[in-house]
Amino acid sequence: MRGLRDLWEGGLVLGAFLALPLALVALALMVVVTALQVGQLTAMDAVAEAGLTLTLRTLEGPDGAPVPYVQVAQVARDSPAARAGLARGDVLLAVAGRRVGRPLEAWRAVEAAPGGREIHLPLVWLPPLERALGTLRVERGGSEPALVLVAPAPAAQAQGLRPGDVLRKAAGIPVTSPRQAWETVLLLARQGEAPLELEVLRAGETAHLAFDPCGRAELLVVRDAWRAWVRFLTRVGDPRYPEQAGLLPALVGSLGVVAVMAAVAFPLGLAAAVYLEEFARPGRFRTLLDILLASLAGLPSAVVGLLGLEVFARGLLLGRSILAGGFTLAVLILPIVAIAGREALRTVPRSLREAALSVGATPGQTVFHQVLPAALPGLLTGMVLALSRAVGEAAPLLLLGAFLYVNYVPQSLRDSFTVVPIQIFDWATRPQDGYATVTACAIVFLLGLTLALNGLAIFLRARFQRRWAE
Amino acid sequence: MALYVAQSLPFFQAVPLREFLGETRWAPIHEPARYGILALLGATLVITGLALSVAVPLGLFSAVFLAAYAPPRLRPVLKPALELLAAVPTVVYGFFALRFVTPFLQRFLPLGFWNGLSAGLVMGIMITPYMASLSDDVLYAVPRSLWEGAYALGARKRQVVGRVVLPAAFSGIGAAFVLSFTRAVGETMIVALAAGRTPTWPPDPLRPLLPMTGAMVNIATGDHEAGALIWAHLFAIGLLLFLLTFLLNLISHGVIRRVQRRFA
Repeated sequence: MRGLRDLWEGGLVLGAFLALPLALVALALMVVVTALQVGQLTAMDAVAEAGLTLTLRTLEGPDGAPVPYVQVAQVARDSPAARAGLARGDVLLAVAGRRVGRPLEAWRAVEAAPGGREIHLPLVWLPPLERALGTLRVERGGSEPALVLVAPAPAAQAQGLRPGDVLRKAAGIPVTSPRQAWETVLLLARQGEAPLELEVLRAGETAHLAFDPCGRAELLVVRDAWRAWVRFLTRVGDPRYPEQAGLLPALVGSLGVVAVMAAVAFPLGLAAAVYLEEFARPGRFRTLLDILLASLAGLPSAVVGLLGLEVFARGLLLGRSILAGGFTLAVLILPIVAIAGREALRTVPRSLREAALSVGATPGQTVFHQVLPAALPGLLTGMVLALSRAVGEAAPLLLLGAFLYVNYVPQSLRDSFTVVPIQIFDWATRPQDGYATVTACAIVFLLGLTLALNGLAIFLRARFQRRWAE
Repeated sequence: MALYVAQSLPFFQAVPLREFLGETRWAPIHEPARYGILALLGATLVITGLALSVAVPLGLFSAVFLAAYAPPRLRPVLKPALELLAAVPTVVYGFFALRFVTPFLQRFLPLGFWNGLSAGLVMGIMITPYMASLSDDVLYAVPRSLWEGAYALGARKRQVVGRVVLPAAFSGIGAAFVLSFTRAVGETMIVALAAGRTPTWPPDPLRPLLPMTGAMVNIATGDHEAGALIWAHLFAIGLLLFLLTFLLNLISHGVIRRVQRRFA
C-alpha cells in the first residue's frame, strides 16, 4: 500500500514535469511538418507559370504492375513551355537530369534544381505517337499483321524513317499495335534508353536504325515564393489542377461569414453578459442561466450546424448563403462571447460601482460610463478569441450545406460560399499529387491568422488590463 | 431541442426505435437501408476512449504542474501557450492525422489509410489543453488554507498534491473529465478527415471507423433528395448527440459550480 502510494506520488511529479512540454512539442511538431510542405508551392507555381500543367497517368507495365508517368495536361499559349516545343499530351521523362514518374517528383526536381530565382531547366519528354513516330496502321494483308508507318512525323523522318516502313521491334521488343508501340517506346525511354534501336522492314529487307523519340529543351522557369503566394491567395483557381488552385473564393467567404457572425453575436453576447452580471438578481434563476450558458457553449459544433440548417437555411429561406452561415456561427459563438464578457465584467471591483452609485449615477450610467470602459480590454480580448475560433470552424458550415468548392467569388450575402477550413477539408481529401502542398499552404495561412489573433488577444490582455487593488 | 425532435419524427415513424438502437449495420443509402446507430455509437466511443487516454493524463498532469510546480513567473507564459494549442482549428489536426500520423503509424501497425487510431490519438492532443485548463481551474479553486495546512503538518509537495489537493478536487476533476468526453464525442473535423467513410462492426481502431459526427458530415455533404428519409435520420443522429452532450455538460457544469462554491 505504501509502495503503491509512493509510486503514485513519484509518477505524479514525473508526469507533471513531462506532460506540458510533451503537449507543446506536439504542437510544434505539427506546425513544423506542415511548414515543411510549403516550399513546394514555389516550384509548382514556377512550372505553372512557365506554361505547364501536369497530370498523373498510368499504363500497365510488362509485369502487369501499373507504371506512373507525367503527362502535360495543358500548355499555355505563348508561354516559355510552348516556345520550347512542348505540347499537350507530351510525357515528361526527366526534369533537371532527374527521371520523373509523378508530378510530385517533377516539382521536387524543380525545387531542388541548383541556381537562383531564374533557372534554365533541362527537360526531356516523349511526344504522343503522332509527333514521336507518325501515323501508324495495322495491315493484315500478309501472313501476320504488319504495323505500317503511313506518314512519319518530321522528327522521325529526319532520323531516317520513311513512309511505308513496317515497324517490327523496338530495342528487341516486338511491336504489334500503334498504342503498344508507343507504350513500349515510353517504357524504354523512361529507363533512359535513348536512342533506341528500331528494327524496320523496308522493301522486303530488314533494317536497323538508331532512333531517338524524345524532345529536349531548356525551359526558363522563375522560382518566386512571393509571387506563388500572391497568386495562390488571389485567384479563383481551377479545381482540376493543384498548381492552379486558389484560395480567393474561400477567403471572401470566410470574411463574409465571420463579419455577419460578429455583427450578430458580439452585441447580443455582450448584452447577455451585461444583463447576467450587472442586472440579473443573484439566485437560483441566475445560477440556472449560468449553467445553461456554459452547457450551450459546450454543444458540438455539428449539432449547432444542424440547427442552422433547419432554422436559417430552410426556416428563414436563406439557403446555403453567407447570411445563413454567419447566423449559424453566431449561435455557436454567442455563448463564448457572453462567458468571456462576464469574466471581464467580474474583474471590475465592486468599489468602482459603489463609488459611481454613491455620487448619484443611475445603474445604467454606472454600467455604461464606468464598468464597461473599465472592462473594455477584457471584453476585446474575449471578442478577438471568439473571432479566431469562428475563422477556424468548418463543421457547422459543412452541416449547413456550404459547398466544398466554389469557382466564383461570392458577390453578396445571399450567395452560396465556402470558407477556408472547408476548402482545406476538401483539398486534404484529394489524393492527387500536389494537393498536400496546397492544403499545407492554406493551413499555414489559417494558422498564421488564428495565431495572430490569439497573439493580439494576449497582447491586449497584458498591455491594457488594469490590476485592481482590492 | 423541440426542433430536433420535430425534424427526426418522420424517421422514428418509419424506423422502429428498436432497430435504430439495436442494429449494428449502418447503410442508409443502400437497399435495404440500415439505420443502426450502434455502429456509429461504437465508433464514437472507441475514438473518444483513445482520445481521452491521451488527453486525460497529459491534461491532468499539465494542470498539476501549472498549479503546484510551475514557477510563478512561468505561469503567465505557459497558460497562454496552452490556450494557443486550443486555438488551432480542428481541420488542421485532421490533416495532421491523415497525412503524418497515419503514415507514421503504418510503419508499425497494419493500418488502413483511414483508421480510428490516428484520429483518436490526434484528437487526444486537441483535447489536452481543454482538460488541462479545466483541471487547472478546479485545482486553483482548492483553498490555499488546505495546501498550507498540509504543509504545516510536514508533508512534502508531492504528498500535498497527491493526498490532499487532488482528492479535494476529485469531483471537479471528474467534471472536467466528463466535459472533455463530450468535447471528444462532438468533435467533427478530425474524424471526418482521418477516421473514414464507412462504419465497421465491431469497431476496430485499426480499420476505418465512422462516428456519429462523421456520419452527419457524410449525410450533409452527400447529394440527397429533399424530404428523403435520410434527412430525418440526420436529425435523429443529431438529437442523440445533442441529448448526450447537453445532459452531460449540464451535470458537470453543475458539479464544477458546486465545487467552486464549496471552496469559496
